[in-house]
Amino acid sequence: MDIVSVTRVRRLLDEHGEEFFTRMLVPSELADCRTSTGLDVLSLCGRIAAKEAAFKTLRVRNRFLPWLDIVVQRADGGWPLVDLRGSAGRMAAASGISQITVSISHDVDYAVAVAAPILTER
Amino acid sequence: MTNPVTDGIDQVKTWIVKRHPDRQDIAGDLDLIENRLIDSLSFVEFVFLLEQVSGRSIDMDTLEVDSIRTLDAIEQHFFTARVS
Repeated sequence: MDIVSVTRVRRLLDEHGEEFFTRMLVPSELADCRTSTGLDVLSLCGRIAAKEAAFKTLRVRNRFLPWLDIVVQRADGGWPLVDLRGSAGRMAAASGISQITVSISHDVDYAVAVAAPILTER
Repeated sequence: MTNPVTDGIDQVKTWIVKRHPDRQDIAGDLDLIENRLIDSLSFVEFVFLLEQVSGRSIDMDTLEVDSIRTLDAIEQHFFTARVS
């Protein structure tokens, strides 16, 4: 699980601009978070919380969250799907995880996300 | 004459203390991660700062946790090498 403060992310956006988030979200994720007036902070927070929650299920030590390898896509039905790429895929395989399911919620000041790993069938 | 090494690490320390007003100073060997002075979200901003202060680009994917675990480690990995 993870919780992200809107105040914290808005400060990052104000101080560093949208370009800063290209280190954390791939272009398709940024597009999902974009509205007619620019990046939607609550959507950003939801994506960040989902990536952190998913990373925690991988149970890895001494590694930083590979932000661009844990990609949160939006399914046609609107629910989030986690795509584990590159190093995140390797971490998952090493932990016996085939997929991660995640649920996101946000309201005014915070976004929260809950993630659950789906284990590889033996 | 100013020393670019101590200048750099002082800027890093100032950045951390500014975000943790409960602390006046940070020992060189204090574990920044265990003590939650750097977490997953601030880590991205921290790398952004390190690049600006050290003048070197940093690949977040290959960055070793221990290279930024303490101010001493940061000084050794990002500042000392540049001066020598």
